[in-house]
Amino acid sequence: MVTDRRVFGVFPNEDKAMDVIQEMAGKPWRLERVHSPFPSHRVAAALKVKKSRVGYFTLAGGFLGFLSGIALAIYTAVQWHLTIWGKPVVAWFPFIIVGFEFTILFSVFGNVLGLLVLGDLPDYDGPELYDPRCSGEHFGILAACPEGEQEGLADFFRSKGGEARVISA
Amino acid sequence: MKESIHTTIPSRKALVLFAGLTLLGFGAFVVQVSGKNPGRAWQAYLINFLLWSAIAQGGLLFSVVMHITKARWSGRMQSLAESFAAFFPLSLVLFLVLFLGKDYLFPGLHGEVRGLEVWLNLPFLFSRDLVGLLLLYGIGLAYTVYALRLRADSGGGGGGRIGSLVRRGWTGSEDEVKRSRHRMTTLSVLYILAYGFILTLIAFDLIMSMEPPFYSTLFGAYAFAKAFYLGLLALMVVAGLYYLRGGEDSGLRPSDFHDLGKLVLAFCLVWADFFYVQLLIIWYGNISEETRYLIQRVMLLPWRPLAWTVFVMGFVIPFFVLLNKRVKERPLVMIPFCVFVIVGLWLEHLLLVGPALNPGTVTLPVGPGDVLITLGFLGLMALAVTLFLRWFLHPVVGRS
Repeated sequence: MVTDRRVFGVFPNEDKAMDVIQEMAGKPWRLERVHSPFPSHRVAAALKVKKSRVGYFTLAGGFLGFLSGIALAIYTAVQWHLTIWGKPVVAWFPFIIVGFEFTILFSVFGNVLGLLVLGDLPDYDGPELYDPRCSGEHFGILAACPEGEQEGLADFFRSKGGEARVISA
Repeated sequence: MKESIHTTIPSRKALVLFAGLTLLGFGAFVVQVSGKNPGRAWQAYLINFLLWSAIAQGGLLFSVVMHITKARWSGRMQSLAESFAAFFPLSLVLFLVLFLGKDYLFPGLHGEVRGLEVWLNLPFLFSRDLVGLLLLYGIGLAYTVYALRLRADSGGGGGGRIGSLVRRGWTGSEDEVKRSRHRMTTLSVLYILAYGFILTLIAFDLIMSMEPPFYSTLFGAYAFAKAFYLGLLALMVVAGLYYLRGGEDSGLRPSDFHDLGKLVLAFCLVWADFFYVQLLIIWYGNISEETRYLIQRVMLLPWRPLAWTVFVMGFVIPFFVLLNKRVKERPLVMIPFCVFVIVGLWLEHLLLVGPALNPGTVTLPVGPGDVLITLGFLGLMALAVTLFLRWFLHPVVGRS
């Protein structure tokens, strides 16, 4: 099948985008890409997208951060041996705060590292075909079809409440 | 679109069960209060009054917050949350009855209160709390009436005499709808302000004042954060039962439970954080008026195991369980889980008031009588919510 014509549809909300995704399953056209302004569980489930591995980077960062925070607090406390109000020098109770803050910080670092590694970032050019409104509140769907069917595909997108742009070959 | 929810309306059998529980609890209370240890009956009464009133106050707060933020995801949950307002009149009556137990409930106020005599005298304490509750409940009920009137056109105003009373004068015109929404917004703001102030006052008066001169500035905020946590847990239970009974007809979806579950997790963290912040300040400051309260509850027997139990049931388990998306989406799992956490917070109330009411005890002052009285309060709350849902037809229709 020759699939050298593509149509980019822009939809104002998740429901309309979901309608299109679900109906595309029964059509002879191929869904190439979906842009969402927020992480949409419904779209991810409909596209059967595999669970992202970025979360593992975040988890690893969190563990490392917690241990680092506690270690830093303990190390700095034992350098001075200041006894305050009879409290132990190494007291886990207040050190939880340092551990908690480092957990958050290093989780964020892990998350960013995961995005860079797994998201092929930085990508200075951006996706090949894109509508900036998809970074706002719109959903974008890029679909491919055989030569001659691009107007039919565009009409399908329009009938579902979206705008359609036929991409030149 | 008018939704058919005949299958979601709670059955008469449920009403009979809840009425039975209420009578059982009332009977247990009367037997215990006229027995050898009336203080224990009043302890259970106080704990349950605080817990169930907090559930009602926090439950309605969900609807108020959703309205004021113009949230659109929560339409059906918001309607269910309004049913907790049905407990407000009962809570007021229960508070008046609480006054009869004043000799048992405020051991610290019968002796020296070191400069706090003007503030901590019982008639003034009860009067100000009564005025506060009247204000809070008045605003909450007014908000609820407007919410029901706005649903009158879609059958949400309810049938029968009560429904007619709610809808009296309602024409459904565009101006009237606009005016009602505006009033609801005003009442939402007033409710939130009253919620913060009145729950702080109740916490200071009915819990913190048990052991003067202990005080914690954050105690009030801790109490109202806990009340919202409790309200969200109870809403999850009510919504879950509603969904299990009505399925698609209930208008609820698994994604609604996921969203509510995320809020429950958030307020689990807020509650634990407010607890920890107080603990840390008292630990570091090491001031004897404050540390005595803490030491008794987290370091000495028989309260230390209870403190750890509360920590695990109220924070550790909910935190790890609620991280999972699939768990949050399943009412069959969330209902027993939320009941478990509410039990943990019941124990937390025991931890706060128990040491003051049972000085020198070597065993935890909890027994079958406390369980029966708790079941009575549960029956009363369930009866109120169930009657609300039965009276006001199509309560799960979202607002247009």
